[in-house]
Amino acid sequence: MSTAAKKTLVVTRFDPDRDSAPRTQSYQIPVQDDWMVLDALNYIKDEVDGTLSHRWSCRMAVCGSCGMMVNGEPRLTCKDPLRQYGETVVVAPLANFPVVRDLVIEMDGFLDKLKSVKPWIVRAKELAAEAGPVRQSPEQLDEFKQFSMCINCMLCYAACPVVANEPDFLGPAAIALGHRYNVDSRDEGARERNQIFRGEGTVFSCSYANECSEVCPKHVDPAAAVNQAKFNAVIDWATGLVLPRGGRQ
Amino acid sequence: MARPAHPHAMQPARPGRTRTAPPMQPDQFPFQGRYRAYTLFDLTGAVYLAMGFVMLRVVWALGDGSFAWQALLDAFKSPVWIAFHGLALVCVLFVGARFFRLFPKAQPPRIGPLKPPPKMVIYAMLYAVWVVVTCVFVMILGGGVFP
Repeated sequence: MSTAAKKTLVVTRFDPDRDSAPRTQSYQIPVQDDWMVLDALNYIKDEVDGTLSHRWSCRMAVCGSCGMMVNGEPRLTCKDPLRQYGETVVVAPLANFPVVRDLVIEMDGFLDKLKSVKPWIVRAKELAAEAGPVRQSPEQLDEFKQFSMCINCMLCYAACPVVANEPDFLGPAAIALGHRYNVDSRDEGARERNQIFRGEGTVFSCSYANECSEVCPKHVDPAAAVNQAKFNAVIDWATGLVLPRGGRQ
Repeated sequence: MARPAHPHAMQPARPGRTRTAPPMQPDQFPFQGRYRAYTLFDLTGAVYLAMGFVMLRVVWALGDGSFAWQALLDAFKSPVWIAFHGLALVCVLFVGARFFRLFPKAQPPRIGPLKPPPKMVIYAMLYAVWVVVTCVFVMILGGGVFP
């Protein structure tokens, strides 16, 4: 393992009991060539300043806990190599979120939005367990698989200009997950979700900046999901107008 | 320097017990880095608004008779008007190219039994339609259809 280099991390600090507003604090630390940004933060926490607060867990880009702004860009810090940055690296909490402490953001607003789109399989009648698994063809799986890769890291929310300015906007990940179930052949809740999608501040608030897809570490392409959801919501509305009983079975 | 986001952005429905710092927008928004193209895309709306007023002026001149119409055509030969129309053309090309780039992935995976064609085919069709519509308009405005 090569050693020696030093970098300065400029980290946002905020103690709700003492600080009126977030401030920055610099830490000059020795770094390893193979470190990710998260390793540097953990080094600071373990060796320099134990009061620093940040979220992390799996260290393998699966749990989605360690999303932060690194030099102004939303990044998953566990898969963001430190060597790509210069001598100074600025680490801040995710943009567009209230800050609880240091690099820790308030997640409950996101969880409220996520829950509102019913991101689970909705069926009018539960299938009996004896009926066995519901089979899907590879084509049916292809329709939603990409959107099911979301790890809820919230980088898409930090990149979205609409999230910053429209508090009611459901946001990219929540809509992508709602859409993921709408196009799942096992699900029967599309009508309910499309009604939610047509409401105030939902899919039609998206102005297709496409930055959610640009920053997504799992290549989910939430912008595609949001814009496909727009189309489906309109088709669903039109179907409800022209078919008997609003198209309900 | 980041600007504050909407104070209620990503706030939970029920406030927590801990005081939080207000949300901030990304540092680069609106004119730097990844947001520059998006902001320029939005700003083209101002040019289209201005073009809308120009179109009203054109219709007004048509209603005022041939003398007013000729006077307007003469005015359009000035460098200021040529620059404005050049800017409008750049805006249309920019928005068209951006829209065409993003359009294919907004297609639903299937409509009934039908699947959309590959992205390259959609790109080619969009640009072909654009060229054909442009040619039709040029012919109409050039007097080729209604002499």
